[in-house]
Amino acid sequence: MLFQPAIIALLIATATSVLLLAASVPFAARVLASWDLASGSERQLRMERRTYLVSTILSFVFASQLVALLLFIFNADRMSVLFVGAMCAVGTLNVNAWGFPALLAQIGLFFLASTWLILNRVDNQAPDYPLVRVKYAMLLAIAPVAALALGLQLAYFLGLKADVITSCCGSLFGGGTETLGGDLAGLPPKPAMLGFYAVTLTAAAAGGWAALRGRGGLLLAAASATAFLAALAGIVSFISLYAYEHPHHHCPFCLLKPEYDFQGYALYAPLFLGTAAGLGAGVIQPFARVPSLRSLVPQRLRSLGAFSGAMFLLFLAFASVIIARSNLVLMDG
Amino acid sequence: MIELTGIRKAFNQGRENEYWALNGIDIAIDAEKVTVLRGPSGSGKTTLLTIVGCLSRPTAGRVRLKDQDISGLPERFLTEIRRQTFGFVFQQFNLVRGLAAIDNVMLPAYPCGLPHGELRGRAEELLAMLRLGHRRDSRVEWLSGGEQQRVAIARALINRPQVVIADEPTANLDTALSREFLGILEMLREQGKTVLLTSHDPLVVEASVVDRVIGLRDGRIID
Repeated sequence: MLFQPAIIALLIATATSVLLLAASVPFAARVLASWDLASGSERQLRMERRTYLVSTILSFVFASQLVALLLFIFNADRMSVLFVGAMCAVGTLNVNAWGFPALLAQIGLFFLASTWLILNRVDNQAPDYPLVRVKYAMLLAIAPVAALALGLQLAYFLGLKADVITSCCGSLFGGGTETLGGDLAGLPPKPAMLGFYAVTLTAAAAGGWAALRGRGGLLLAAASATAFLAALAGIVSFISLYAYEHPHHHCPFCLLKPEYDFQGYALYAPLFLGTAAGLGAGVIQPFARVPSLRSLVPQRLRSLGAFSGAMFLLFLAFASVIIARSNLVLMDG
Repeated sequence: MIELTGIRKAFNQGRENEYWALNGIDIAIDAEKVTVLRGPSGSGKTTLLTIVGCLSRPTAGRVRLKDQDISGLPERFLTEIRRQTFGFVFQQFNLVRGLAAIDNVMLPAYPCGLPHGELRGRAEELLAMLRLGHRRDSRVEWLSGGEQQRVAIARALINRPQVVIADEPTANLDTALSREFLGILEMLREQGKTVLLTSHDPLVVEASVVDRVIGLRDGRIID
């Protein structure tokens, strides 16, 4: 089971990331302990030179983790044909107890990696390394998450047994089941839809505000995080029903299948990217008062706000098209 | 204008042949003056010049240009500073053979994206100022040593730098051409340029155009 190309690629990507992160940890600790731009010591100058090498390597590591999430989900969906009872990625992830924790760790790593990349980009644009301590402190926090993600992936992939009869998405996302998915599926469609549109449009508007004003990063981050959760709830609660044209099929993973024209990718890609940009805007906002970042942070907030707002609008557009094209009548009037 | 603090520079650091070319240099170079670094071969003159001009980095110490620390700047910031602030005249001139004098002069300005007509006009003006207008279309290998040096000076000035750096500028010139170079130095100083050069040529070191001479030996300042 381990010798699936996607699994091998994922494990190599995550293991390489963990190794490179582990190799960077001593340097990060040194930066936190003794970085002093006023000093012209050999040690300081060596750190200044090395920080570019380390942050370039880490940029590749984190960029690989953005792609790894896509690969993880794609792989989970593709492997569903190998397990009895699995209809989509849910069945594959349910083969053992580590599937969903591994997915959640990968999602966490995705957002941490994107935030670090945004922080690094801002830091690299200023001549005096204003965020060097922040980004290396964050690195120390990310490294254990990456190690956890690798551990969960290993436990999950090594524990995949073809003779296990797994459960399909209906058991997890059925309206009557006592799980988080079941609770979301049981939400009444009309209030859920109203909440979904209100929250996602608010996030898009917060993105627009940041794009126009070059501030409001914290508001955008809060709106993006809320919209992310509301969007996931909306997908389970009613968008999936319209997509499958079935009043009881709430699975957010079946949307990724070719039978449904891979609509899930069109929904999730802008949602994840918009949320990542929004969270990144929130992380850099507090540094707008740093002298060398006074013009850079607003500039970056404008581009992140525009990107995040556009992604949320794109997500809403795809969701609306799914609803408009569907033959399912979920609500009267 | 340029302040160096505790500058040390090692080559092959950590190896058997480790060599410290500079051993703790503290100097301030005044703006709009001509400063000469004097010292015997191996004293660290050229190494110091390359550090001031952002062509190499110190192993320890800081270089400040108009109160901005430039010794720790990442390469992409340094490129811009090198391009806009410093003009270099190398000992061997380092002109590109096969290209005309005017093309050599224009070369460092291409990345700045000036309109071609304006750039060409600027290059012609510089060549005329250095009495090379009639040789502008000649390939550089056809020029005499003195003419080649003047092309190198014109090239150093094309981006209108505040600081002109020259490494042993008279090393390959006879007395007449060296005096001609001193005349150019005078002109640069009148234009408000800061000039920093290395030399152990008495003709240069003792010239009236030179405002300050800094002596170097074994990587240290001696006077």
